[in-house]
Amino acid sequence: MFLECQNINFRYPNGSMDVFHDLSFQMKTPGFHALFGPSGVGKTSLARIIVGDFNDYSGVVRSEGMQNLLYSYNLERLPDWSSVGKHLEKITPPSLRDRKNELIASFDMAETMRLRFSQLSLGQQNRVNLIRYLLQDFHLLIMDESLANVDERTREKIILGIKDMFPDTYFLYISHNVIEVSKFCREILVFRNSLKAPQVITVNGQDHKLGQTVSKDKLEQTMLEIMHAS
Amino acid sequence: MLHRRIYQFFIIYLLGLLVLFSVKYLLDLSDYVIPGLEDLAQTFRTVFLRYVSDVVDTISVAVIGQVISVFMAIVVGVLGRQTTWFGSFIKVAAYNVQAYPIVAIAPIIFILFGDGFLSRLLIAAMICYFPILLSVISIMSEPVHDIEHFYRVTGRMRWQLEVKIRAFENLNKLTTVISGSATLAMAGTIVAEFIAANAGIGYSIRIALYQSDLAKILTALFLIGITLSVYQGLLEIAGYLVKKGWASH
Repeated sequence: MFLECQNINFRYPNGSMDVFHDLSFQMKTPGFHALFGPSGVGKTSLARIIVGDFNDYSGVVRSEGMQNLLYSYNLERLPDWSSVGKHLEKITPPSLRDRKNELIASFDMAETMRLRFSQLSLGQQNRVNLIRYLLQDFHLLIMDESLANVDERTREKIILGIKDMFPDTYFLYISHNVIEVSKFCREILVFRNSLKAPQVITVNGQDHKLGQTVSKDKLEQTMLEIMHAS
Repeated sequence: MLHRRIYQFFIIYLLGLLVLFSVKYLLDLSDYVIPGLEDLAQTFRTVFLRYVSDVVDTISVAVIGQVISVFMAIVVGVLGRQTTWFGSFIKVAAYNVQAYPIVAIAPIIFILFGDGFLSRLLIAAMICYFPILLSVISIMSEPVHDIEHFYRVTGRMRWQLEVKIRAFENLNKLTTVISGSATLAMAGTIVAEFIAANAGIGYSIRIALYQSDLAKILTALFLIGITLSVYQGLLEIAGYLVKKGWASH
């Protein structure tokens, strides 16, 4: 199972500049990876190319051995006609009932299950949305700022929980937080603007896991590499 | 909602009367053109019961016509929401047909169906059908991306769910459109009665017009207005209850 993009060229319809020019990268090992870069460099566009939402690009996207590729983003909503608990119950396959309860507990969301989506805070809304994606059958999940508005401690707990629960699954985490991606991600695709070549540079992150400690020096080294690459 | 609609109507009606009497006294018009208050009260007492029965007759036709229109508009609107050639065809046809003044074809309906109940019903339904259809198509064709995305990417989206999401997200708009279409249905029925029918308040207005009896016309307008206000108020309450019930189950 691997993900590979070769010579991707992409421009928005009616756009005057290429978003991607000969963009290539490979991800050969499952785990928590990141797309990192300033706003507007094309992280979301690449995500949508990977999952097949955009088709008007040239180049090759290969997702060998991956059938279900999902893209989630932080502005998604659940319908307000019933509680979030009922919604989760409805979209959870019977075999994943235990996993659902585990995720609800690990995301600190047990208290909110009787509430409607509009009654939740922004951070809680993003967590519920992420839970429902994690309860699907997938091989790659792209999380486009899916933990926005969630406090740092809870975010750390959630990311470590996800890594622990899904060790053989691919995650692409889109974030602007350099410390977070350096600490938790295995490979970080650092985006530069389309005039620079290569357009993305892969930096190895610290891939921090539950029960491990992170060396402060190594973390700083990764952060420096990211800043240097961008 | 209901009381607000009723007192709003009273204010508008009284303002209308005020303008009319101002014109009467400023231009020194005779009671034959604009009757005095006493004549108006006398006529009101004389025709009240007959006109109430006529208004009930008219509103019954309007309500049935509106129900048929709403039902048809929802069915066709749901089909027309699709981006297929059929959906596009329905949208284009609806936009073009609604641009034509339906009331202009009323004589054809009277020729074909006579001056009875069916003609009034058809005209009422046709007049309020197209505006509702356009609103339903516009609401149903607009994806609610933030909600629908998950169901699409996970293969859970069915047409029933799509319609449910879009209807729920636009329930206020739908209620307003349906409530507003009550006026159109009532107007359609009255116009039909006015043109050629043999019953209803429009028919009574036509007779009053031939008699140049403004007092009767003002009485009819009062009864039409108050009935329509109550009906629209009830529709708004029904919309509110539907939303409340839907959001709490």
